[in-house]
Amino acid sequence: MGDSRARMLLHIIERAAYLPFLARLPAPLGYRMACWRGDWHFRHQAGKRTEVARNLRLVLGNELSAAAAQQVTREWFRLASCETVDIKRLGRRARPLRRLVEIRGREHLEAALAAGKGAILCTGHFGSCSSGFSVLHASGFPVTAIGRWWYKYEAAGLSSAERRLWDFYLKPLRRHRQRPNIEPWPGRPEVATLAAAALRANEVVTISIDAPPLDSDRARAVEVPFLGHQAGLLPGAVVLAQVTGAPLLMGFLYREADYRHQVWEISAPVPVEGETATAFGRCAAEVSAAIRRSPAHWIFWANTGDLADLGLIPPQPDSSPAAGPVLLPDRGIPARRISR
Amino acid sequence: METVINDYISRELVQDPALVPLADEAPLLDSGILDSLTLLRLVVFLEERFGITMGDADLLPENFASVNTICAYLRAREPGKQEAARG
Repeated sequence: MGDSRARMLLHIIERAAYLPFLARLPAPLGYRMACWRGDWHFRHQAGKRTEVARNLRLVLGNELSAAAAQQVTREWFRLASCETVDIKRLGRRARPLRRLVEIRGREHLEAALAAGKGAILCTGHFGSCSSGFSVLHASGFPVTAIGRWWYKYEAAGLSSAERRLWDFYLKPLRRHRQRPNIEPWPGRPEVATLAAAALRANEVVTISIDAPPLDSDRARAVEVPFLGHQAGLLPGAVVLAQVTGAPLLMGFLYREADYRHQVWEISAPVPVEGETATAFGRCAAEVSAAIRRSPAHWIFWANTGDLADLGLIPPQPDSSPAAGPVLLPDRGIPARRISR
Repeated sequence: METVINDYISRELVQDPALVPLADEAPLLDSGILDSLTLLRLVVFLEERFGITMGDADLLPENFASVNTICAYLRAREPGKQEAARG
């Protein structure tokens, strides 16, 4: 844990030193250098590299050979590194990043908002989704995200100075949002109602549905097929759509082979009528298919505790809450392994 | 008012049949009857049934602690009461 924190601090300092520089370079060069940095981390972070490759094989099984798992792992490190550049390119009204992101399915989002009930954009912890939400907002869609900022977890054990550093680093993301994140912490029953208020104001509410539920929410989880396993996930996105009448669209942000261009693929509204678990199963299947299509885009591969909580891998001996959080400096993700 | 709200919660939101019949003073949040999504359903019901709009500031846990506190909150919102409070 101490080692992990020291490493994370080093990463923050590293980022502060060179990321603004990388983000100001012409995109081809900036993202090329980000890939070199990803490769460097792949070579030197043996523990994380092994964990990602092992989890890939545990979850995807025979779909992935050992060599292919190594390849995906290397790609995972590259994408993580590119994500940090994305965040820094959100300055100047996000123009530097907006130029690189194509929004396919924009018409679906526009049609949904034209109906006046807002829109729910359902995705996973996939690619640079947080930067992608900011790009959507900067492109004229009023976006509010439901999600927790991981560094605010008390159990992450960060000092207030470290929290401020993360706050500063992630500020560009927060700047391009209609409202502050709606954060579903335990003891906040107003979360869904706040999301409904954003929808009523005809905004886009984003939800990543692939996070393992907190202990306090576990009773509400539904078991759905996910990546070839049964995973317990929260169907809140579907219930929100059913109660408010807002259309629910699926969206995934893919990075292209040149690493600098990205594509938002936004679907037409998916049906949410009928049984909640069935409708939610369709959403989970979409997320699952996106991950299979491009496994390196999924952020959770380094979160062994989360994968175990989801039921995708057996419980790991070192993944008990007491083992402390997994701190993922490069992907800035909502590390879930906290005392709950 | 108590009966209408109690009926709705008992019929639509309570998952555990052992909690029915629901006393008006029974805790709704602490007992887990109301979570984020059931609270949303309740708010939508209250807005439709009583013709009110609830803003972010109304979503205080103390307003939804029990059927009694919900009713107290709704009564405090009645136009006459609000004017009296302002006056």
